[in-house]
Amino acid sequence: MSEALGTDETLPALGPGGMPGAAGARAAGPTGPRRSPASRLARRLGDLFLSDYFVLYLTLAYVLVLIPFLPTLSNPANLSNVLSNMWPLLVVAVGQTFVLTIAGIDLSQGAVIGLASVVGGALLAVGGSGAVLENSPLWGTVLTEQGGPLAGVPWGLALGIAAMLLTGALIGFANGFSVAYLNMPPFMVTLVGLIGIGAFAIWLTQSENIRPLPDSFVELGKGDIVSVYLGPQDEPKIPRRQIYSLVTYPAVIAIAIALAAHILLSRTVFGRYVYAIGANRRAAEISGVPVRRVVIAVFTISAVCAAAGSILYSARLEAGRPTLGDGAFLLDVVGAVVIGGTSLFGGKGKILWTVFGVLFFVVLSNTLNLMNLSSFHIDMVKGAVILAAALLDVLRTRLMRERAA
Amino acid sequence: MRKTIVAAATLAAATALSSPAFAANICFAFQDLETEFWVAGHQAITSTLEEEGHTVIERNANEDANRQLEQVRDCIAQGVDGIIIIPQDGESAVTIVKEAQENDVPIAVFNRPPSDLSRGIVVVADNATIASQAVDFLAEQALAKAGDGQTLQPLILVGDLGDPNAVGRKEGFYAAIAKHGDRFAKPIEVATEWDAATALANLEAAVTANPKIDLVFTSSDFLFPTIRSVFEPRGMWKPAGEEGHVLMGGLDGDATACQLIKDGYVDATGVQDLYFEADQALEAILKAIEEGEYAPNQVIEDPGFALTSANLGEREKDMWGCVLLADGFLNK
Repeated sequence: MSEALGTDETLPALGPGGMPGAAGARAAGPTGPRRSPASRLARRLGDLFLSDYFVLYLTLAYVLVLIPFLPTLSNPANLSNVLSNMWPLLVVAVGQTFVLTIAGIDLSQGAVIGLASVVGGALLAVGGSGAVLENSPLWGTVLTEQGGPLAGVPWGLALGIAAMLLTGALIGFANGFSVAYLNMPPFMVTLVGLIGIGAFAIWLTQSENIRPLPDSFVELGKGDIVSVYLGPQDEPKIPRRQIYSLVTYPAVIAIAIALAAHILLSRTVFGRYVYAIGANRRAAEISGVPVRRVVIAVFTISAVCAAAGSILYSARLEAGRPTLGDGAFLLDVVGAVVIGGTSLFGGKGKILWTVFGVLFFVVLSNTLNLMNLSSFHIDMVKGAVILAAALLDVLRTRLMRERAA
Repeated sequence: MRKTIVAAATLAAATALSSPAFAANICFAFQDLETEFWVAGHQAITSTLEEEGHTVIERNANEDANRQLEQVRDCIAQGVDGIIIIPQDGESAVTIVKEAQENDVPIAVFNRPPSDLSRGIVVVADNATIASQAVDFLAEQALAKAGDGQTLQPLILVGDLGDPNAVGRKEGFYAAIAKHGDRFAKPIEVATEWDAATALANLEAAVTANPKIDLVFTSSDFLFPTIRSVFEPRGMWKPAGEEGHVLMGGLDGDATACQLIKDGYVDATGVQDLYFEADQALEAILKAIEEGEYAPNQVIEDPGFALTSANLGEREKDMWGCVLLADGFLNK
């Protein structure tokens, strides 16, 4: 945190990230006698620790330490890979950031991804196999051997994507309504969503995948806008594996969503409401914040982001898959957001932090893969890193309080 | 187990891969190792490659198709010479094969084929024929045991139909039953999704609703323990010759199935020749690497056979599960 909220630095106000800024903390701190070099160093380290960019610095340090042992880490193909793995996760994590910031959690994101994938696949498929899908309730009603109802229809792709996003929005609205108006705990509401919606998605296709999907849709998940070749210019034939994706459709989509979310959270009244609810819901209500509406909006945003992530994941795997988002996926999403610095206790979170958290998480997965660790070890390490991030969150909060005191 | 597998795989590989002129970096990406078949296949492939002096980079996707895609991309970024994959399902296999070939990396798909067989080296068992052979035996035994004119009730545990192997096995089952259409009732289908817990729940429900079952075929041998846990409390788990024996068969040819055939609980199992498949996959991918062929497309079929209680004495040693069993696999 380097910014303070507003101009009145005498108030222990929440910054845009939801916590007292380092600058504000400095302003509120002692201004007495000159400090010793050791004290100044400790102060600098403390500033670094509280910086918005702490996780980015950590990622860079981690990469620099590992490069001598894992030279592949820095090769362009690997960097291109890391980025391509980052974009869909970022889209989903952006939505989770909103929910964590109001001190909630959205466990249903994985199930939303699966259901949205099935909806998109069923509507957009350009063919179908009766042998595979004959037991599915979609077969013969929505899907046939000619594909889904939007196959070959003008604007069909846009309609299919809209249907996927609408699926997410409806589920998010239901989650938010249950939390805001029925006063149900977010954990329970979204856990039921995770189980129920996930099962519904699997029932719809009887656990089968829907393909083929149109090329225009697949492009959204893996299409290049700008590719680069870094080899010698006199090469008569450029090997395809030496052409690296630089700007891709998933990158553009993810950056656009992250940017919009950043503006919404940090530059609007709605964003302030989100922080206020996360910091103290009761106080926010008394202050006139429309808590219920904001909670519904936050859960809707989370589920729509999950549906947008589903578009990218379904497109890169070229199928509508009911099991997308299953398994340890939520570990990745929540882990990345928490590593970024968003607090599980609410009131504190930034999209920029989530970007860095996702980057760190993807780099971590990539390096663990390059170390040839088994999937079990990889998940154990990821779990340990998330635990460390939660601990760091506690330490950061304590340090900020000490500085603000 | 390791010694036997290494010996069997190396012996077979020795003919095909007699003296490699190069050491390749091979990425072996598998979806998981939850059954005996995959464990043995994994062991055969890695041991043979390492014995031959090649480097194997292993990637376990833990049954996550997206993770497997990312792992294969990591392998490509690492500059591997070739990829062998056991995919999560036929659809993700198509995507991953395309990804590898677009990056000029030869790829072989082991045992679980892509939905589209036209790309990549695909080593696959003739599931329909193998299943049909096993079920033919079961049907003949069931009819011989039944009275004239009695209608028999068959049941099939169906695999994940996103896996072409499961589709082939189901087709083989129905083809064999159809030969005696007038004597068999409509088969009861139990969905398993290749998951023991799902199979248990669905089989419990099916057997409760239909307590009179005459013939059971499981699309994979790894479900025999599940079947036993449902049948035993109901008095339906009896060896051949005892009153109440249900004719039972499967497909894979694992050590458990071999033991159960010997004990009389299981009557037949379709056998995939695991070592043949592993050797063919290795031979094809190493040949492609050596010849600089980036996108080899070839389908290699394992004809397989059915091991039954009738031919156990003659063909036992041809079944990989019996080889493992003799090595004490089930006691380890």
